[in-house]
Amino acid sequence: MYFTQHFWELLFQGIRLGSLYALIAIGYTMVYGVLQLINFAHSEVFMSGALGGVFMLTALAGTNGNIPSGFSAFEYTALALIAGAVVSAAVAFSLERVAYRPLRKRHAPKLVYLITAIGASIFLYNLAGKLFGRNNLQVPESFHSGPVFVLPGTGPSGPRTVKTLDVLIIVTAFVMMVVLDLVINRTKLGSGIRAVAQDAETAQLMGVDVGKVISRTFIIGGLLAGVGGVLYAMFHAVSYTMGFIPGIKAFTAAVLGGIGNVRGAMLGGLLLGIVESFSQGIIPNGLEWVDVVSFVVLVVVLLIRPTGILGERTGRAA
Amino acid sequence: MRTINRVRAGAVIAAGVFALSACAGSSTKSGGGSSSSSTGSGSSTSAANNGKPTLEIGVQGPLSGANQALGLNIDWGVKLAVQQENAKGDLPFNLAVKEADDQGLQNNGADEANLLIQDPKVMGVVGPAFSGPTAAAGALYSTANLVAISPSATAPKLTASGFKTFYRVVANDNIQGKAAADYMAKSLKAGNVFVVDDKSQYGQGLSTAIIAQLKVDGVTVETDSAQAGTQDYSQLASKVASSGAKAMYYAGYYADGGVFAKALKSAGYTGTMMSGDGSKDPNFITTAGKDAAEGWQFTCACLDAGTNPKYAAFVSAYKQLANAEPGTYSIEGYDAANTIISVLKGLNTASPTRAAVAGAVGTVDYQGLSKEVKFTSTGDISTTAVYVYQIKSGVITLLGDVNTLVGGS
Repeated sequence: MYFTQHFWELLFQGIRLGSLYALIAIGYTMVYGVLQLINFAHSEVFMSGALGGVFMLTALAGTNGNIPSGFSAFEYTALALIAGAVVSAAVAFSLERVAYRPLRKRHAPKLVYLITAIGASIFLYNLAGKLFGRNNLQVPESFHSGPVFVLPGTGPSGPRTVKTLDVLIIVTAFVMMVVLDLVINRTKLGSGIRAVAQDAETAQLMGVDVGKVISRTFIIGGLLAGVGGVLYAMFHAVSYTMGFIPGIKAFTAAVLGGIGNVRGAMLGGLLLGIVESFSQGIIPNGLEWVDVVSFVVLVVVLLIRPTGILGERTGRAA
Repeated sequence: MRTINRVRAGAVIAAGVFALSACAGSSTKSGGGSSSSSTGSGSSTSAANNGKPTLEIGVQGPLSGANQALGLNIDWGVKLAVQQENAKGDLPFNLAVKEADDQGLQNNGADEANLLIQDPKVMGVVGPAFSGPTAAAGALYSTANLVAISPSATAPKLTASGFKTFYRVVANDNIQGKAAADYMAKSLKAGNVFVVDDKSQYGQGLSTAIIAQLKVDGVTVETDSAQAGTQDYSQLASKVASSGAKAMYYAGYYADGGVFAKALKSAGYTGTMMSGDGSKDPNFITTAGKDAAEGWQFTCACLDAGTNPKYAAFVSAYKQLANAEPGTYSIEGYDAANTIISVLKGLNTASPTRAAVAGAVGTVDYQGLSKEVKFTSTGDISTTAVYVYQIKSGVITLLGDVNTLVGGS
């Protein structure tokens, strides 16, 4: 049977996709934590990171698309990841300044935030489409992905392998998540974020600069989404609408894990990726069923645990 | 104080946008962003300011969005035909182009068709370019008696839907599909073939035709589908790779086809990879990257101008107008527009009616650049040539006519 033969391969591909969902989902969940806002423009933060990374790759590679001399493939990729993270963080920061801060100052109702988020999203992707064209952009290949190790299970075309790019995606995503977890639980900035998430007014009375904390939350979410965007670009395509579907999926992952809960977002992302991958392996012509299966899983989880797998623990350590 | 803050924030954004666009300048080279205003007022006619009235030829297709390249190829072909006709000036009116951008999406088909129908100056339409919008718009054009000649909508059922003013200047997907299947079975000698479609009107029509003919040819067929916009093609690519199929055919458009190509490369698939007219575009290579796109083959009822000296005049005129090489369906768009123009000439009146134009198109016999334009009673083109192309060193190159390739092997 296909699924049992390809179990490890499917699991691996699921983790790869899931770790990208997780990187994006963290941005949704952290912003929800401090503002109780679903930042629908986060998918465009992700898209701008991918664009930033691709422009960095293109600028370094020049016209022939080869890695410039004097760079190793990993330095080259790292520069692209940094560029993507910086661009995304800048976009997320400006977004908060321009779209959400004025609303907060005027104590706007929650519904106004929501429609602002949707408006900002539409504005940003149309702006990107206008500036960079509406075709897919070329992504220079940072390395010609050779196999790293061989997975158990075989098909007629020989054993299935894992490529450098796959390892890069998973390792980068996990390192980012571990670092974020440490930042939130061990640093002053982290305790600020948790304090604002628990009770913004009290946090302010205790001397926490709420505005600053919110800004930084957006920046952190942007950094992660930017890295996710560049990684996604390397195996998918880059265009002005690329953010939409991953954004929806990551939001789903955040809800699945428990919105507002950072570890929940990580878990939800991974779970969603693996469910999507497995459903393709188990169901014949499974690609058509992927979304059906993932949303059935979401509904079932919410029926059993209405606040998500790890619960809606805004402001707690985990 | 508040205003100062706001100004500052605005400046931050403006600076950011400016910086981004500055980076972009060096790397975008797409032919996109060329959306000329849709009334056609600017396009080529104002020069002939000679007191004649102006009539319009409509263009409906994806002029923006993910698959815009195919629509723009057609649009420029039509503009060239109109420009040349106005330069000749032997019609009792000037012609202009009116654009309707349906982004290739079925949902937009009807609205954009109405835009053209409601403009009484539009005498004929080149398009709709894609099959989905055509299915949505065909009945509207019929009711309005407005002729719609598509250079590229190839879903077989379109000419069997009773759209009495719908014609097309390319062979439909039953013919393309049969040719593609015969090519894979007899020329590539593939004993087993994996067929993937994108669930669109076009993709499903094409894959159905291919699968039917492959079975006739005694080939083992495996199939799967992946909707346009699929997030992760790697599972499907692994499935194709481990099926051991000698050939794989993707029936869909290039925006997704390119991503799929990337995944197939990474899955290590070694068979012959093929796709149809919807993916035969340089943007397929842009999306997939040179490595992953290399060696892909395409079937298409369309004829590329390429380096064939027969088309040199067309190519240079097109380049001058569009500032780009002619692409897939540029010639067909040009031919479709010229078919309408030749009908208008035949009618020889300063105020033709839509019904008269539609009636005359049915019986037209016009020697176009790509082929003789002559329609069957259902609106299909009577010639049935299908060509095979291959990406060689990053360029889409003509391999030849399917009939010769199959016969010669």
